[in-house]
Amino acid sequence: MMTKKVIIGIMSGLISGFFGAGGGMILVPAYMYILKMPDKKARATSVFSIMPMVLASTLFYVQKSYLDLQLGIKCIIGGIIGGIIGTKLLERFSIKTLKIMFTLFLIYASIKLII
Amino acid sequence: MLEIGIGIVAGIISGLGMGGGTILILALILLMNIEQHVAQASNLLFFIPTSIVATVINAKKKRIDWKVGIPIALSGTLGAIIGAKFAIQIESTNLRKYFGIFLGIIALNEIYNLIKMYILEQKTNNKNKSK
Repeated sequence: MMTKKVIIGIMSGLISGFFGAGGGMILVPAYMYILKMPDKKARATSVFSIMPMVLASTLFYVQKSYLDLQLGIKCIIGGIIGGIIGTKLLERFSIKTLKIMFTLFLIYASIKLII
Repeated sequence: MLEIGIGIVAGIISGLGMGGGTILILALILLMNIEQHVAQASNLLFFIPTSIVATVINAKKKRIDWKVGIPIALSGTLGAIIGAKFAIQIESTNLRKYFGIFLGIIALNEIYNLIKMYILEQKTNNKNKSK
């Protein structure tokens, strides 16, 4: 059981540090399907687990002066507003259509970045 | 102003639980021509206050499984240090390409999930009909 946890942790940490995102995309399904955690608990626990990974990664990006504080803060302000709207939307609508749109957009973006 | 708008969209998607971070990075590099590393660092910064607030709330509501969360946080930090060390040494154009491949994998996984969901729905519909 411990080996499983360590492997899941290292994998999500590698992605999180390398791409500065995506740790949750690995952790939430890993918690739900490998460690059999219920949905809400998996999401809450993953946010907690990623926190130190993000803090450690940030230090390395700061060290190379990749952090634009002004840009970051503007994004955070928008993010707080958007987060509240998103949570409210989640209570009202099915997210299936949104998921399809999100996936189509990812495919487009992926091709654009690779070429 | 555009930065705030991008933040709002990323926040909405995060709130819906669909990976707002990847959208934030994408929007910054595609719409604002921000360098890949800087966009990634912005997303890291974006996550810090959000995750602290969420964790305090989740801890109070006893939603966190500490026995799983703590060992993963520790091994994850080790992974993150290695990942970040690699990322800051890689050239921006290459990192951008790898990010594109990563998004492609996420998209394929989403398609797989959608198909799985569709098949499951069909099955339950058929069952209801036969009743």
